[in-house]
Amino acid sequence: MNEILLIKLQRGIEAKIISISGGRFASKRLADLGLTPGTKIKVLRRAPFFGPVEIEVRGSKLVLGRGLSAKILVKINEN
Amino acid sequence: MKTKKQLYFALAGQANVGKSVIFNYLTSLHQHIGNWPGKTVEKAEGKLYYKGYTINILDLPGIYSLSTYSIEELVAREYIAVKKPDLVVNVVDITNLERNLIFSLQLLELERPIIIVFNMIDLAKKKGIEIDFKKLEQILSVPSMPTVASHGIGLSEVLDGAIELLQKRVLPQPLKFGEEVEKQIKELITVLNDVDLPYPKRWLSIKLLEKDKEVEKLIKDKKPAILKRVKELSLNLEKIHGHDSSVVIADERCHLVSRIIKKVVKITKPKKISFEEKLHIITTHRILGYFLMTAILGLMFLTIFTFGNWLSFLLEKVFSDWQIWWKDVFGNSILATLSWSAVESTLALIQIALPYILPFYLFLYLLEDLGYLARVSFLMDSFMHKIGVHGKACIPLLLGLGCNVPACLSCRIMETERERFITGFLTTFVPCSAVTVIIMGLVGKFVGISFAFGLYIFALLIIFILGRLALKFLPGETTELIMAMPDYKVPNIKTIILQTFFRLKEFIYIAAPLVIISGVIIKAIELAGWLNPIARLLSPITVNWLGLPVITGILLIFGLLRKEMILVMLAALLGTTDFAQVLTPPQMITLAIVAMFYIPCVATISALWKQFGWKKTVAVTLFKTVFAIGLGGIVFRLLTVFW
Repeated sequence: MNEILLIKLQRGIEAKIISISGGRFASKRLADLGLTPGTKIKVLRRAPFFGPVEIEVRGSKLVLGRGLSAKILVKINEN
Repeated sequence: MKTKKQLYFALAGQANVGKSVIFNYLTSLHQHIGNWPGKTVEKAEGKLYYKGYTINILDLPGIYSLSTYSIEELVAREYIAVKKPDLVVNVVDITNLERNLIFSLQLLELERPIIIVFNMIDLAKKKGIEIDFKKLEQILSVPSMPTVASHGIGLSEVLDGAIELLQKRVLPQPLKFGEEVEKQIKELITVLNDVDLPYPKRWLSIKLLEKDKEVEKLIKDKKPAILKRVKELSLNLEKIHGHDSSVVIADERCHLVSRIIKKVVKITKPKKISFEEKLHIITTHRILGYFLMTAILGLMFLTIFTFGNWLSFLLEKVFSDWQIWWKDVFGNSILATLSWSAVESTLALIQIALPYILPFYLFLYLLEDLGYLARVSFLMDSFMHKIGVHGKACIPLLLGLGCNVPACLSCRIMETERERFITGFLTTFVPCSAVTVIIMGLVGKFVGISFAFGLYIFALLIIFILGRLALKFLPGETTELIMAMPDYKVPNIKTIILQTFFRLKEFIYIAAPLVIISGVIIKAIELAGWLNPIARLLSPITVNWLGLPVITGILLIFGLLRKEMILVMLAALLGTTDFAQVLTPPQMITLAIVAMFYIPCVATISALWKQFGWKKTVAVTLFKTVFAIGLGGIVFRLLTVFW
């Protein structure tokens, strides 16, 4: 299975969002920012001490709290 | 168009798009910063005279969507939909076009006259982004203007375009979603036909399918039966798409935008890593990042305090000359003395504002405009989570080291009311520059510099513990950090200076009334000869519990005005600046701790009041007083055991 949580996704690997759990509130918020199921996503870096992740999505850089990134399920692109 | 000389424009856009640069460029000194009535959201209005028109510009808060996630988003959409400004100017950061356009589509749904300003085309070119504006304008059917706001390029074209659009009186056509979604929307529009609300019907329908709580409430009051129909229609969508209907709608917008992007954007990525990118890598590095952060902030504080002490000393001299002059002219009557204390309080404010708050804001806005503060939030997020708030909260806390007033006011950057309050509450425990004067002048000088630094660490510990406690007592989950990471860019000096100026003005306006009133009252108490009786009245606390001299009561009263007055009055009342002769080291440390944590100074009380209302202000003030006295007594007892 190459479906993993965003929090576990390796740096620089491109993946696609499968689903966002944790209630409508979080998923709607992220969807408004362009993080909808099927969107390509890449982890750029993680802050140390279990900090937030910086991601690239739709050509923009976003920082997501660690808790939030544990709610996003992604699938690693095959090629 | 009938000759209407007054125009109302609203600037709308996400954070870091250069909205405030445009606002400041257009309105310059003709602006006013206040709060939205009853809200802790900032309202910046400005005026501009252009080609015979008076254009009133409202700078809406920087937001990421028009959902009701934060108070800002609610305020912004209410303003556009209900107050109906003549024109919405949507500012878009072209280097983040796709995310920004998702927001633009939401603005179009509000069906107000709109133009879109595509800002930062210079940076886009650098990043190899090429955009076909003609095509973009065609697809959106909205005037689209490229600008470089930081250099004022394209802004007069924006104004001309705006006036032209208003003369033509065309409303934007919202872009059409997919077939199934449109079907549900159409059905809802007919159902909503006889509902009288000041919003476009199509917008209401979309928001209902998005399960927007505020719109649901509106409909419930008018015709609750509609909500049942909404549920059915949402369910239809969810069956077809397999996601919550709110996500389906957002997804539709994303699809529309990515199709637009495919048609109008061409990117040729530059081969070399840019300087900005390198800077980003270094400043967010897991080791170097923290090292640099400590260095940058440390240097900033050092500069500010060195400059501040110098200027404060200079002003002190000038103002004391003024006092002599006042006495010469008006004499020594009670009225003359009281009116001088009013003047003195005002001067005291200036003595904080110019030496400390001014450079603080300058540095802070510089770092913000540069993009560095976002990196600080990124690095500090995990620490801030330990006290129940996310990374952005470190900015108010940092500001608190300069002065608690701007710190309190800056809590507006937090998303929810709960986080604003926790952050505001905690900032009042941060030792400000006035407290630093006490810590350094008393403990640092007479007990030892290591003890002075120990007190800072102690304050940090207290803030941490109180944060944990606040987390327990204030229900709710910590909001997760969601923040756009802006690219580093050359700061815009004009914006920084204007923002600093208006903040300084705000500080004086908020703090002055209460500071002047309390200054006069305290002087009156002094003239009436009540200071000593009050000090004796307080002696069970000051002498018996805290182990300090009787005059401490007087000191704490004066400290309400400005905390460093504690030290000034101590010297005045004892007739010596060699405090070691009159106070033991444990007494000094106890006094410093009480000074650090007891009642926030009058100016901070004003800021708390403005931000959180009087109930919370009274609660915080009482809590701090009891807490500081309780803690002071315990520390004194512990210290005397070991000393």
